[in-house]
Amino acid sequence: MTTIVQGLRRIPSWVLPLALGILLIAAPWLGISADTRRLLVLSCILALVTSGLSLSFGYAGELALGQTAMYATGAYLTGYLAMHWVNDLLLLVVVSAVAALVVGMISGIPGLRLGGWSLAMTSFFLVLLVPQIIDLLEKYTGGAVGLVGIPQPKLFGQPLSTVTFYVVVAVITVVWFTVMRNLVTSRHGIAFQVLRQSPVLASSLGISVFRLKLTAYALGAIPAGIAGALFAYVDKYLSPSTFGFTMAVTVLAAAILGGAKSVYGALIGALIMQYGPLRSTDFAQYAQVIYGVFLIVAGTLVANGLAGLANRAIKLLKARWDPQQPASAGGDPDQSAGESSGLTKRPVLPQLPGDRLQIEGLAKRFGGLQALGGVSLTAEPGQITALIGPNGSGKTTLLNMVCGYYRTDDGTIHIGDTDITGAKTHQVARAGVARTFQTPLFPEDISVHEAVAAGMYTPRYVGMLSSILRLPRYWRTVRADRAETTAVLRLVGVDHLADAEAASLPLGTRRLLEVARALVCRPKVLLLDEVASGLDEDEIERLAELIRAIRAAGTTVVLVEHNFKLVLELADTIRVLAQGELIASGTPAEIENHPRVLSDYLGVRQEGMQ
Amino acid sequence: MTPIWSGLAIGAVYALVAIGYNIVYVAYTTFNFAHAQLMMFGVFVTYWATVVADLPIWLTFLACGAAVGLIALIEEFIAIRPVKGAHAHLVTTLGAATLLDGITRLIWGDQVLKVPPVIGSSSTITLLGGRISIVELVLIIAIIVITGLITLYSRRSLTGLALLAMAEDRDAALLRGINVKRLALGAFVFAGVLAGITGPLVGPKTFAVATLGSALALKGFVAVAIGGFGSMPGALIGGFVVGLVESLSGRWLGSDFPTIMVFVVLLLILLLKPTGLFGSTRERVV
Repeated sequence: MTTIVQGLRRIPSWVLPLALGILLIAAPWLGISADTRRLLVLSCILALVTSGLSLSFGYAGELALGQTAMYATGAYLTGYLAMHWVNDLLLLVVVSAVAALVVGMISGIPGLRLGGWSLAMTSFFLVLLVPQIIDLLEKYTGGAVGLVGIPQPKLFGQPLSTVTFYVVVAVITVVWFTVMRNLVTSRHGIAFQVLRQSPVLASSLGISVFRLKLTAYALGAIPAGIAGALFAYVDKYLSPSTFGFTMAVTVLAAAILGGAKSVYGALIGALIMQYGPLRSTDFAQYAQVIYGVFLIVAGTLVANGLAGLANRAIKLLKARWDPQQPASAGGDPDQSAGESSGLTKRPVLPQLPGDRLQIEGLAKRFGGLQALGGVSLTAEPGQITALIGPNGSGKTTLLNMVCGYYRTDDGTIHIGDTDITGAKTHQVARAGVARTFQTPLFPEDISVHEAVAAGMYTPRYVGMLSSILRLPRYWRTVRADRAETTAVLRLVGVDHLADAEAASLPLGTRRLLEVARALVCRPKVLLLDEVASGLDEDEIERLAELIRAIRAAGTTVVLVEHNFKLVLELADTIRVLAQGELIASGTPAEIENHPRVLSDYLGVRQEGMQ
Repeated sequence: MTPIWSGLAIGAVYALVAIGYNIVYVAYTTFNFAHAQLMMFGVFVTYWATVVADLPIWLTFLACGAAVGLIALIEEFIAIRPVKGAHAHLVTTLGAATLLDGITRLIWGDQVLKVPPVIGSSSTITLLGGRISIVELVLIIAIIVITGLITLYSRRSLTGLALLAMAEDRDAALLRGINVKRLALGAFVFAGVLAGITGPLVGPKTFAVATLGSALALKGFVAVAIGGFGSMPGALIGGFVVGLVESLSGRWLGSDFPTIMVFVVLLLILLLKPTGLFGSTRERVV
């Protein structure tokens, strides 16, 4: 049994979907009835719309119900153009996809600025407007009567029979799902997940949260538009009642049922919806009640839909039959001890030339609280500048202002010659600032390798088109990514955990991973926010080695830390903050004996100091 | 002036939805998609109480408040409590909204049911050069009074302050000895009861129809977007603005335009002042 499982594991994951896809295309020759063929066509169309929702809801984390409006756009445009302009299926599919993309962009931009409810509501509103707009454009759409007289589809001038039309629909569906699969298994997929779970992290990695969300939402419009174009030819008749709110909820139900955070979940969900509820005529009457109950139950219980359940089952089976490959590598202390012994060799980094961080008169006020009152300091490349001070002295506020999370009330921040005062977080990141967080941020369900590789998303960007088409450029970066993350992971001593789930690792390991992630950004300035807190002696030792290696590589390191011993050991210069003011500045030896530091920060009288 | 009066009257209804959203927002920092459906239910119960059961006025109000309050209570237990995070709530409360739509349709069907006025009458008077019916006038005044009372209560009473504290920082409020869960549940049920007892005021203006919920949900949301999340006076003004935009564009542009114009207003507000007129930005914290 074990050997069978291992044999199965060796088959690439794309083989099964591909086989099913071919089966879907070849279905007419396998003796399916006309009814089944029609159901499959409708399932494909619903699956296309649903996959658009999966992309924005499941991956980018924005609930947007606007796909129905884009679907209607595609359908009416195709219907009208086929009757009055040119009847070519492929051309109209492209036109519809572009039109849907435009509708997606226009309706997405305002809602996405706030995200969350705003987008959900604007998109919901858009759906509600569909019948009114159809009515308004009665001359072209036929208004409430519907659009009648759409011709038989043609492809390159050849009329399509129902069987060939079916094949075209199936092929388009398979192509779209391939596109989607290639997109979400590339770095963009990881970027989407980072975005969904932590916009804070995403922007610190140089990802523009707004742009990427808009991209996901707008991309989700494309399959909806395509589906609309295909739907226009199914009955050759379009009625405004098809595109109402019920359609929007059906799509949402299909997405959640199949699992919004999966590629093929949309297909499964759509197939079940078409074969089950949507086929029965009694359903219409109870549709809302059933959908309502379903959404409540699904929203509370089955977070990842059927695809999520299947994934969990596969994991369990793997753990059962394939003991060599631990499903979750949390433990394994022997191995990690063995590996870490390799770390007694000093880690050596390639050159990472830094840039001077210069802060002038930085001030920040929260309501009545002066968090920072005009702080000036510089951090030089190739040096470790430590920032210490009691709790609430403004250390993290300062980091957050450098990173662009807070607006600057007064003062300037420069990286080298670049002024980053008031820049947005992702712009600061692109200017070469990388940071770690007090609480390490790792999205769930992402492997260590992927989590670290997320740091390379912006610095070494690969376009979506190259990723979707798997161009040579894509494969080159995949190899380069793998090599670089492996090197960095080896450097921080966790390369044996590359395939473990990052979020499930112990705190110490996650802190090291954060440093690793920051390193693959190849930063000019590295900000470490309480990176040693919660670590044991060995881990601190390992971390100290690593930070020294980063300094040796030439990077500007800013260390915010409470571990005074570690600070004295590591830092080249120390700046001390108290109540938002810089109270002392100097070498470790000077700071160690500075009277105000002793009283304000360490809270000791002179004689209490060892 | 007549379209202005009718705009203010329908705007009062939107303001009421917006107030309901805001109460739940303050208590849970989340969005109860189904609030407009609760109001719709209140209108249907009013229809039942006045036309079918022919109850006296006080019993009509009582029945509406109790029925909708109970539904809100159930909603809190099945759709709000079991999940965390505004995003998950969007799905579950959308589910609750759809469910309520479906139930309403099963009980009362699809046709538009006329709700007779409970307080006042449908006779019209001339006021400041425009015509307005007594029920509409009562509705407008009632909303202004309700908003005033809620604003006063939330700023002056201990419970109101506790609610604000809870909205600001749930954990800190918990540590201060505020029973966060019970307080939030209380606010949720209160929002439900409010949606119920205003049913007899709203019903004569909107009529009872199963699509009322989704229409009100969106206009109410636009009112909140204009006024700013959590601001009660903002909700009132937002509601009136939406009502006026709707009624005036219907008057000058044609019957296809009101909803489209409201959508345009929503897009403009989101683009130009995403926090609303009375909302404040909160800076992100790492």
